[in-house]
Amino acid sequence: MKTPYNRRSALATLGGALAGVLTLTVARPLKAAVQKVFVSSGAPRGYDPSKHKWLMCIDTNKCIGCGLCVEACKKENGVPEGPYYRTWVERYIIPKPKPGDGQTRGETLVDCPNGGMHGFPEPPMPKSQIEHSFFVPKMCNLCEHSPCVQVCPVGATFDAPDGAVLIDPTYCIGCGFCIQACPYGCRFLNPVTKTAEKCTLCYHRITRGLKPACVEICPTQARIFGDLKNLVPDDPIQKFYEQNRVQVLKPHLGTEPRVLYAGLDKEVR
Amino acid sequence: MRRFKLPPQILRLVLLTLGIVGTYFVARAVLTPPSFGKYGWYRGAALEELAARTPVYAGKQACDECHSEILHKLAADAHKTLSCEACHGVSREHGENPDILPVKLTGSHCIRCHEANVSRPAWFKQIVVRDHYSGKCVECHVPHQPNQTP
Repeated sequence: MKTPYNRRSALATLGGALAGVLTLTVARPLKAAVQKVFVSSGAPRGYDPSKHKWLMCIDTNKCIGCGLCVEACKKENGVPEGPYYRTWVERYIIPKPKPGDGQTRGETLVDCPNGGMHGFPEPPMPKSQIEHSFFVPKMCNLCEHSPCVQVCPVGATFDAPDGAVLIDPTYCIGCGFCIQACPYGCRFLNPVTKTAEKCTLCYHRITRGLKPACVEICPTQARIFGDLKNLVPDDPIQKFYEQNRVQVLKPHLGTEPRVLYAGLDKEVR
Repeated sequence: MRRFKLPPQILRLVLLTLGIVGTYFVARAVLTPPSFGKYGWYRGAALEELAARTPVYAGKQACDECHSEILHKLAADAHKTLSCEACHGVSREHGENPDILPVKLTGSHCIRCHEANVSRPAWFKQIVVRDHYSGKCVECHVPHQPNQTP
């Protein structure tokens, strides 16, 4: 009786499978080489992410709330129209306490019409009632321990070796976990691509040696951008440290942001 | 001497296990992008793809190539911290082809920053436009050298 399975055919099948696996192992680096030529031809050459560590410093004493940074960010990154911002400016108004209230200050008002892009309307109370008022530009806080990266189920968002927290738009499935996880509210779901989006530190600019658009455009240099691994003598970052008492947003969360603020008030969240 | 013969049910199990493990490796090789794991648990090529976009704002250094004279004036006066594109708008096209002129400016752009506002820091020069002057800003002020008079 002739069986359909003899040693020869079994060995042939096994050999074929083995050859298949081996071919694929060879195909992988080949695919990588092809991709390198065709996909990333537009990327700047000679940028090594492991040789940089980016840092942003924001001096709220210098912010005049003109909204140019918000506008520049939208234009530079093609952020969709509507209430979607990668950076925005908040206005804090802290009123004087009512007499006999036993409080040091009144209830803080925070507003941010259109992300502050077109300026701010008159405050809702007369100047005499305002204890003080100021602007706080906000953006991705470049956390050392990013809650948004920890929750991503598909590895679409990550801490790049140069400190930028980025999103791989081709990998993002739009589940929105990271949007909930970000304690600073810096992420949103792009209504067009349906993927999560956030500040990339203008990754296409910093890899070319340019400053991020918001830093470039800020008329008062309220935003200072620098590289901790390549500090130049008389570096603006160093000066920022020397001249200010530096604070981060929500330090109790242990996210260790690399966006540092000067002139923060206790009301700023 | 009796030759050892693998019982057929064990052989089937071994082959099945090999098949499953093999399928896993084949599937992994096909489905994992080549650069996955280059820097960490993500696609390393994403960094290059994000960096591949063309910048929109040209930056002050690009302006310096032709307009260094104006930039010199600017650097000596109160508007030294301003980027050209903060007032003149996105000018990369103008940099590539000087015939395409940057966006023309109006006085509304000055008051974007200089209109008085309680929330603005006190050191910053502000005016109440209503009480200040009804004409054009440039009648009395030189934008590139705000401390000079025309």
